[in-house]
Amino acid sequence: MQPQFSKAEVAHAPEGALVHDDATAKWFLVSSVAYFFIVGIIAVLIAAKFVWPDLMGTMSWLTYGRLRPLHVNGMLFGWLLAADMGLAYYVIPRLCGVKLWSEKLGLATAALWNVIILGAVVTLLAGLNQGWEYAELPWYLDILVVVAWIMFGLNIFLTVATRKHQAMYVTIWYTMGCILWTAFVYLTGNFAVLFTTGTNQANLNWMYVHNAVGLIFTPIGLAIAYYFIPRASNTPLHSHKLSMVGFWSLAFVYVWTGAHHMIHGPISQWLQTIAIAFSVMLLIPVWAVVYNLFATMKGQWHQLRESVPLKFLLSGVVFYLLTCFQGPMHSLRTVSAIVSKTDWIPGHAHMAVLGCFSFFAIAGTYFAVPRIWGKPLHSQALANWSYWMLMIGGLGFFTTLWLGGFWQGWQWNNWSIPFIDTVIALRPIWIVRFVSGILMFIGIVMFAYNILATAMGANEEAAA
Amino acid sequence: MVHDFTYPSVYFAYLFFALMFGLAVYFFIRSKHDGYWGERGEDAKYQMFEDDDTHRRVP
Repeated sequence: MQPQFSKAEVAHAPEGALVHDDATAKWFLVSSVAYFFIVGIIAVLIAAKFVWPDLMGTMSWLTYGRLRPLHVNGMLFGWLLAADMGLAYYVIPRLCGVKLWSEKLGLATAALWNVIILGAVVTLLAGLNQGWEYAELPWYLDILVVVAWIMFGLNIFLTVATRKHQAMYVTIWYTMGCILWTAFVYLTGNFAVLFTTGTNQANLNWMYVHNAVGLIFTPIGLAIAYYFIPRASNTPLHSHKLSMVGFWSLAFVYVWTGAHHMIHGPISQWLQTIAIAFSVMLLIPVWAVVYNLFATMKGQWHQLRESVPLKFLLSGVVFYLLTCFQGPMHSLRTVSAIVSKTDWIPGHAHMAVLGCFSFFAIAGTYFAVPRIWGKPLHSQALANWSYWMLMIGGLGFFTTLWLGGFWQGWQWNNWSIPFIDTVIALRPIWIVRFVSGILMFIGIVMFAYNILATAMGANEEAAA
Repeated sequence: MVHDFTYPSVYFAYLFFALMFGLAVYFFIRSKHDGYWGERGEDAKYQMFEDDDTHRRVP
C-alpha cells in the first residue's frame, strides 16, 4: 500500500508516499466556480426577462436571444463540464495510484478551456451564433473545443495506461466512456450538421442535444457520484458488477434516444418508435445506478446530517431517478403531445443538469478543494445554507415549470385560445420561476464564496 | 451549382454510430475476458480504499 497525499499535505507525508500535484485540478475547479457565479447572474437576468420583457431596453447584446445561449453554454461548458474535468484530474490519478501523466499538458488544457469560454462570452453576446441548440458556438471555437478535448483525453488515458492495478474502478470506466462518446457526439453535433439541411439537420441536432446530456454529462456525472459517495461515506460501493450493468446498458441504449425530441414532427414513424423504445429502455441503466448508490448508503444514512457533500450527492441521485423517469415517460406519443416544446422541458432539463449533475459536481468540489489546498472548508454552516438554497430554489423551479408546462400544453392543444393569451396566462408561473432563480443564485454565491475563500486561505488570515 | 451534402453527412453520422457500437461490443467482451464479471469482479471497489486514505484525513 502506497499512501497518497496532496501537495499541500506533503509535510505530513511519510517517505515513499505518492504526492499529487493537483495543479490542473485547482485551475479547472477555481475557474469553473467563477463561471458558475458569473453565468448565474445571466440566468437571473433571463428569468427576470420572462416577467418584465422590456427589462434592459433594446440594447442588442442584452436581448434574450443573446443572453440565453450564453447562459446555456456558460453553465454547460464554463461551469459543469469544467468542474467535471477538474474533478476527473483529481480522481483518476488517485484511483490509478499514480501521478497525472502530465500536469503541464493539464495546465495548457485549462488555459485553452478558459480561452474558449471567454471567446464564447464575446461571440455569443456579439450575436455570432450558429443557431443550433447547445451548438451555438462559432466554428473556430468548436475547433478549439476539439483540441482541448483531445488534450484532456490524452492526459486521462495515458494516466490510466500507467495505473498500478489491472482492475479499473467504475469511475474510470465512465470517465473514459465520456471522453470517447463526447468525441463522437460533439463532432456530429457541431460539424456534421454543417452539411445537412431541413429535417435531417434538425434530427442530427436533436441527437446531439440529447446525447450531450446522456453521453457527456451523464457518464462524467456518474463517474463523480460513484467515486465521492463511497469516499464521503467511507463505505465501499454496494456492487461493482451492478455498476458494470449500468455502464454497458447506458452504452448500448442511450445513443438512439435523441429523435424523441421530434415526436409528432416531420420524421418517419419508425424512427420515432425506435427513439421511444430506447428511451423506455433507459430505465434499466438508471435503476441499476440508483439502486447501487442507495444500497451503498444502507446503514449510513445518518451521515447525511453532518456531511454537506453527501447531502448534495444523495439529493442528486434522487433527482437523477426523477429526471430519468420523466424522460422515458414524456417520450411517449400521448404525453409528448401535451408537454413537447412547453415549459415542462426546461423544468426537466434543469433537474438533470442542475439538480443532478451540478449537485454531484458541487459535492465533489466541496470534498476535493479542502483536501487539495490542505485547509479546512471556510464555513460548514455556509455550505449547509448553500445546499438548502439550491434545493428549495431548485424544487420551486422544477415543479413550477412542470405544472406550468402541462397547463401551457393543454392551452396549446385548445385551438380556440389565442397564442398570446397562453403567454399572458403563464406570467404567475414565471414570477415563481424568477423567485426560485434568486434562491438558487444565492446558493451559488454561497458555494462560490466558500470555495474561493477556502482556496485563498481566508481561515488562515482570520486566525492570524 | 448547388451541392447537397445531406446524405454523405448522415452516412458520416451512421459511420460514427457503427464505430461506437463496434467499440462498445469489443470492450464489453474484453471486460468479460479481464474478469469484471467473474469471482474477482468486486475487487476494484476495495482497491480505492486500500490505496488511498485521503477520505479519512479531514484538513
